[in-house]
Amino acid sequence: MARDKTSEDYFAPVRRLLVGVLVLALLGVFAVWRIDSPRVEKFRIAVIDRVLPSFDWVMAPVNGIANLVVDFQSYQRLAAQNQDLRRELQQMKAWREAALQLEQENAKLLDLNNVRLDPKLTFVTGVVLADSGSPFRQSVLLNVGARDGIIDGWPTMDGIGLAGRIAGVGRETSRVLLLTDTSSRIPVTILPSGQRAILSGDNTLNPPLDFLEDRAVVRPGDRVVSSGDGGVFPADLLVGQVALGTDNRLRVRLAADYQRLEFLRVLRAQPHEIISDPGGLLTPEIEFFGPAIPDPAALSDAGSVDG
Amino acid sequence: MADFADTRIWAKRAVFLLLAGVITIAHLIPLDLRPATWAAPDILLALVCVWVARRPEYVPVYIVGAVFFMTDLLLQRPPGLWAALVILLTEAIRTRHRDLRAMPFLAEWGFVMLGLLVITLANRFVLAIVLTPQAPLGLTMMQLGATILVYPVVVLAAYVLFGVAHPAPGDMRKIGQQV
Repeated sequence: MARDKTSEDYFAPVRRLLVGVLVLALLGVFAVWRIDSPRVEKFRIAVIDRVLPSFDWVMAPVNGIANLVVDFQSYQRLAAQNQDLRRELQQMKAWREAALQLEQENAKLLDLNNVRLDPKLTFVTGVVLADSGSPFRQSVLLNVGARDGIIDGWPTMDGIGLAGRIAGVGRETSRVLLLTDTSSRIPVTILPSGQRAILSGDNTLNPPLDFLEDRAVVRPGDRVVSSGDGGVFPADLLVGQVALGTDNRLRVRLAADYQRLEFLRVLRAQPHEIISDPGGLLTPEIEFFGPAIPDPAALSDAGSVDG
Repeated sequence: MADFADTRIWAKRAVFLLLAGVITIAHLIPLDLRPATWAAPDILLALVCVWVARRPEYVPVYIVGAVFFMTDLLLQRPPGLWAALVILLTEAIRTRHRDLRAMPFLAEWGFVMLGLLVITLANRFVLAIVLTPQAPLGLTMMQLGATILVYPVVVLAAYVLFGVAHPAPGDMRKIGQQV
């Protein structure tokens, strides 16, 4: 033991120095991240891009087993579920009929008015590879990336509603910041009243509505769609329904099913054309009104006469 | 003899890396994407504390640094800060591992609990200073409490499954290995 002690004493200062250097290096990385976040985040994306797709084979069976368990649980409620589904189907048929009629009517009216709508959004569908892995961040990783033409900021939806936006693109993977994340803010419109608000995620399933102008005209049950303000998102993507939270704040019940996000559509959102200049005044050619500019030649002539 | 000891240490290091990988991957599996209302214990952190307190030579500081920097990157934490704090904690445990061996388990538990509390608060404090968005305090505290509670379980698992326990007196010298 004595020999061990001496050898440890001999190595201790060097070792302490090395540990100190290691800790300082890590804190340096943190400082650089805080100062120049995009570059370090790019590095993070590159690391994830390299590491995670190779673990796909581990995740697939575990996912499969988990889904099996969930499915098995649903078997137990099969009869009741069947009943519910039949009833729902009946309702849906009625709605489908109504929707078809409305669509025809809408098409007719649009044609009559000669309205030009936004070009249709096309989309890329990706599989959810991994989630953020911590209860404090709400994001998922998709298996589509720069290789598939994904660009930062594009909205993603599940089949029904908006789920989040692309925040970070690697070569083969991209990260989707979900609407529930604490750093997610998107501009929304609340439909019948047309109120504008910001949907700000707060790590709960039903994010609250901020910056609402007039609460009185917004009721629980109103539809919430993206507003396209600020050019962040295309307008009129379904987000969810207004609900009144237990804390008496207006929250949004999201239409996307966060329990089972397996596939996500990334919408190819084309940026709006921005009209930046106010437009030139329409004036006749060059015609001058007001006091005439003194001719420099005439001025110098006058000077020479005076002198 | 020395070679034998070396391979054994490296085998244990490999086991640790494997465990860290499995725990991280388990975190990343997208089972339910609804925001959690409760926080699971940070088993990787408990694991590293247990192993360092018992057999510091199995978990050298560079492995701790590499593993936690990697999880910082993968789990979307601010990179570097948490890894640095965990290294400081493990170093604090490492320098006292001889004393910890002599202590009753409750005292060791208390010491580790204090360490976990300090680095968690330090993490929040630094993040608050540099104005980074933070996780909700309630969830963080819940995770800290769960990690502390799970510590004895991890100790037991380390002993039963992986044979990681405090070295008994004279345990090492039989095979001529330096502690």
